[in-house]
Amino acid sequence: MKRYAMRTMSATLAVAVTGTLAVACGSSTGGTTKTASGSTGNGPVTITFESYNYGTPDLGGQGTQELIDNFEKAHPNITIKPSGASAADILPKVQAQTAAGNAPDIAQLGWSKEPAALANLPIVPIADVAPAADVSAQTAGILPQALAAGDVGGKLTAMPYTISTPTLFYNASLFTKAHLDPTKPPTTWAEVKTDALAIKKLGGGAQGAYVDAANAAKSDFLTQSLINSNGGALVSPSGAPQLDSPAAVGALSMLGDLSDSGAQPKISETDATSLFKAGKLGMYVTSTALLASLTKAAAGSFTLKTAGLPAFGTLPAKPTYSGSGLFILSKDAAKRAAAWEFVKYLTSDAGFTVITEKIGYLPLRQSTVDGAQYLGTYLTAHPAVLPAFKQLTTVTPYQEFSGPHADQARQVLQDDAVSAVMLNGADPAATAKSVNARLLGLVGKS
Amino acid sequence: LTLAAPARTSPAGTPGAHGTLRARRARAVGPWLYLAPALAMLAVWVLLPLVATVGLSFLHWNLTTGHRPFAGLDNYRRLLTQPEFPHAAWRTVLYGVGLLPFATALPMAMAIVLWKHTGRFVGVYRALLFLPVVLAPVPTAISWQFVLDPLQGVLNASLAHLGVGPIRWLDSSSTALWVIVVITGMKIFSLNVLLYTAGLAGIERHYVEAARMDGATEWEVTRHVLIPLLGRTTAFVSFLCLVLAGQWAFVTINVLTQGGPQGATDNVYYRQYDYAFGLFDTGLASAAAVAIVVGLGVLALLHSLLTGGRLRGLRRRAAGTGVAA
Repeated sequence: MKRYAMRTMSATLAVAVTGTLAVACGSSTGGTTKTASGSTGNGPVTITFESYNYGTPDLGGQGTQELIDNFEKAHPNITIKPSGASAADILPKVQAQTAAGNAPDIAQLGWSKEPAALANLPIVPIADVAPAADVSAQTAGILPQALAAGDVGGKLTAMPYTISTPTLFYNASLFTKAHLDPTKPPTTWAEVKTDALAIKKLGGGAQGAYVDAANAAKSDFLTQSLINSNGGALVSPSGAPQLDSPAAVGALSMLGDLSDSGAQPKISETDATSLFKAGKLGMYVTSTALLASLTKAAAGSFTLKTAGLPAFGTLPAKPTYSGSGLFILSKDAAKRAAAWEFVKYLTSDAGFTVITEKIGYLPLRQSTVDGAQYLGTYLTAHPAVLPAFKQLTTVTPYQEFSGPHADQARQVLQDDAVSAVMLNGADPAATAKSVNARLLGLVGKS
Repeated sequence: LTLAAPARTSPAGTPGAHGTLRARRARAVGPWLYLAPALAMLAVWVLLPLVATVGLSFLHWNLTTGHRPFAGLDNYRRLLTQPEFPHAAWRTVLYGVGLLPFATALPMAMAIVLWKHTGRFVGVYRALLFLPVVLAPVPTAISWQFVLDPLQGVLNASLAHLGVGPIRWLDSSSTALWVIVVITGMKIFSLNVLLYTAGLAGIERHYVEAARMDGATEWEVTRHVLIPLLGRTTAFVSFLCLVLAGQWAFVTINVLTQGGPQGATDNVYYRQYDYAFGLFDTGLASAAAVAIVVGLGVLALLHSLLTGGRLRGLRRRAAGTGVAA
């Protein structure tokens, strides 16, 4: 018996220790440098590209593949090896690759992950990769707010790549059925609630509205858009989180009230997306990035229309943006040069055209919109992009938490405040107060 | 280490005392040579990582940069003062307790039923029961997502016919953990039916026949003969369940809830993974790992004390009554 006990005990120890293995094995990796592949000048170069659009099935992946194909055709010496993960997993993936000495040459990372990326990844600023004249030629005409997002301490660090704003997608067919005017979508949250309840009354599984604030990627761009629109800001000018401010509590209360009144189903983002695609959700407030896939789902099933972000009463709607930048991580000079060539194509008018048409993001340059060979004719045929595009010029900058625990703070905000109030009936004021104390602790200290 | 007990048969006075010494030395070294590969593996894969983890738990490190300042006890302070880890530890206990019936009573009942029936299709049925164990865990979890979708899922659609629901299985903090327990439990159930079947195979059918001849009912046979004879199997699978429940649930958690809503489905293993590879807070993750090892160490100690000491006494007393093995 004793031996049996000893055996189980050592087995338990082994089991317990395996949990530590995964963490510890990272410690043996040193600062492995990528060896130059001997490719100089115009020799063949292969670069790796981590992209969360490539990681999405369907349109995101297809659009990214088209960009790669177009580029490789024009640059036969450069091969792009794409790889993908979800928007939530891309930073951990790149970080793990970097820890293993195998960082990708280019990574597409969301702006909400930028502080963590800057703190943890060996990013080579764009300004250090290419000559100044080349950079200014490439950035000419790009939306200043997007360039500001990629700017760190006055130096262009990441190249703005995709951008989207919150948009109200609505099922015009359900509006008609509920005797609502499909040409007059709601412009305030109070109207959203009334219209949503009217749609829910139709029965047959129809649901009113869903605000994608508690999303799977734990991005807070909608949370911030709501707080801004209610006359506040998530982060104070001194950098302190202020979730307990009246504007922020008001925004959380609106989300909670939509759910508690039955106007909004208490479901996850994934379930809401499939519900909208099935034609059973009246309104869906989410990123414009979903435009292409929602258009595809609506074809032949229901009429899809879009409107701008609803407002709080008479206050102006002040959406912020969500989107991503391209970060270069190559150590090798030849790879860096090739990476810059690829970044130049992706952010050219031709590249932005593919991104808007195939994936659904907004173009970052007016010249892409105006050029007949680019989006000119597409936008006349697809006016649904326009409300979001109009929002782009007045967009409020996205605010980041600071410090090494910025990413954890954002997760706490999304999980413990937004999701708790919106999906689990937590009290907005009390929740905001306790979560803000948590955020202060995470952002204030190292 | 009983391997190292060969009979010492070298008779004194035989020619070549020098050779005897060499032989004795070879005999002393021999067992260690045999053990060397296993000990080396243990050192490389268990002991070194354990030591490294303890070391890392005193550093602030994000796994990618060379900057690793000494943190003192700060990681342990954060681990215990931030609400997430203590909460996850409590949820881990709930996983262990919730999974216990799926690891013990239910598979035992199923195995006994199958053992008592020796029909032609028992083999086929056993194979079917084992199927969930070999299904790939990630696709299984994703399939559950479709089944459990609160508005469009099959489960709620069926319940709606009975006038129940809609129940927000994975989105509500009151149901999510138990849903994960049931999904994980199905796998454990299938595996443990196999373990109980093996346990039953070691039982002499004469005992059962004798009890039946004495007029015992089927329930009495099960209650007073089979369940006590399966005591060792039950002790073993219970211990495994309490120790491994959190790890068994990991894949399902990762695919379906990522520890949410509001940490309702979290456990220490998922928390540690999130610290390490979600937030890249290596120091905090290592402190969590050390805490897990210490916690499980205490559990293992309790188990060995119970099975080695008090249970032995109990068993001796029970043996006097002619029941237990």
